[in-house]
Amino acid sequence: MKHPARWAALGVAVVVGSLAVVLASQVSTNPQAAEQQSRLVGQTVPTFTVHTFDGQTLSSRSLAGKAVLVNFWNSWCIPCQQELPSLKMFAAEHAGDPSVVLLGILRDDTVGAARPYAQAEGISWPLADDPSAALSLDFGTRGQPETYAISPGGLVVGSEYGPASVKNLDTLLAAAQSHP
Amino acid sequence: MTRRRVLVWGGLAVLVVGTLAWAAWPSSGATTPASRASELATELRCPDCEALSVADSDSTSAEAIRADLLRRTKAGESDAEIRQVYIDRYGESILLKPTSNGLGLIVWVLPVVALALAAVGLALAFAKWRRQPRLEATDADEALVQRARAG
Repeated sequence: MKHPARWAALGVAVVVGSLAVVLASQVSTNPQAAEQQSRLVGQTVPTFTVHTFDGQTLSSRSLAGKAVLVNFWNSWCIPCQQELPSLKMFAAEHAGDPSVVLLGILRDDTVGAARPYAQAEGISWPLADDPSAALSLDFGTRGQPETYAISPGGLVVGSEYGPASVKNLDTLLAAAQSHP
Repeated sequence: MTRRRVLVWGGLAVLVVGTLAWAAWPSSGATTPASRASELATELRCPDCEALSVADSDSTSAEAIRADLLRRTKAGESDAEIRQVYIDRYGESILLKPTSNGLGLIVWVLPVVALALAAVGLALAFAKWRRQPRLEATDADEALVQRARAG
């Protein structure tokens, strides 16, 4: 080897350069935010039982056979408030269809705060509490709003992070209805 | 190589290997379900936060995950099984420490490669310097210094 020091320097430069490329490609983005779809898509919906604000009990079992959109929301998050008109429109469109269910699950909020908000906003679809955040955890939620589409057969077929438009909600519903 | 030099290099090698082994050895002394859950909480990223661990966050999700970790460790699930549950839900990004496979392997291997290359470079440089003849001051050099010092 004629110039060992130069070869060593070159080796170090290659290693440092590679590290810089790896870091530049990994650090610039939030790896969690980079994922656009839930890992749950394609899997069976987690088993759950929830109690709605008006005293109903709904479960993954009782909702079987219906196309269900599960929407994680709360009363204080601005994106949830931005999403509300779309949810209202979607709920109104499918109000007479017993095979479609829109279910709101409270995330990181209290019933005491959410109930008056829901009444003031005239929310018509069932809203349920998730007091120990167990359901939020089972769905692998990262924030709110998040919406999951569940097929009549109990398969999670789609997800939407952030405020969904009516078009997004219709797409999720179509995905749910197209699966057995 | 003299006996003294062998001893010095041997001692240095033992020190380096010992330090690396100590650093790489799993430090988990966690044996109780609660301590295992606490240890796992430091490894998982809080899903609602940018760069906080589940152990460091006060968010509702972090609290729920801490409770879930404790429930799972009490139920006898292994650390690997619990990590996998969270990877299945959230993806690899839920782990604060990169995994030692795929792209994550590069993060672990590159510093070691860099250190090895640096060590080889230094060894080659030392060997080269050792081969170079030692420069002795000539009479002319000595005279030059004397003149300079005398002003």
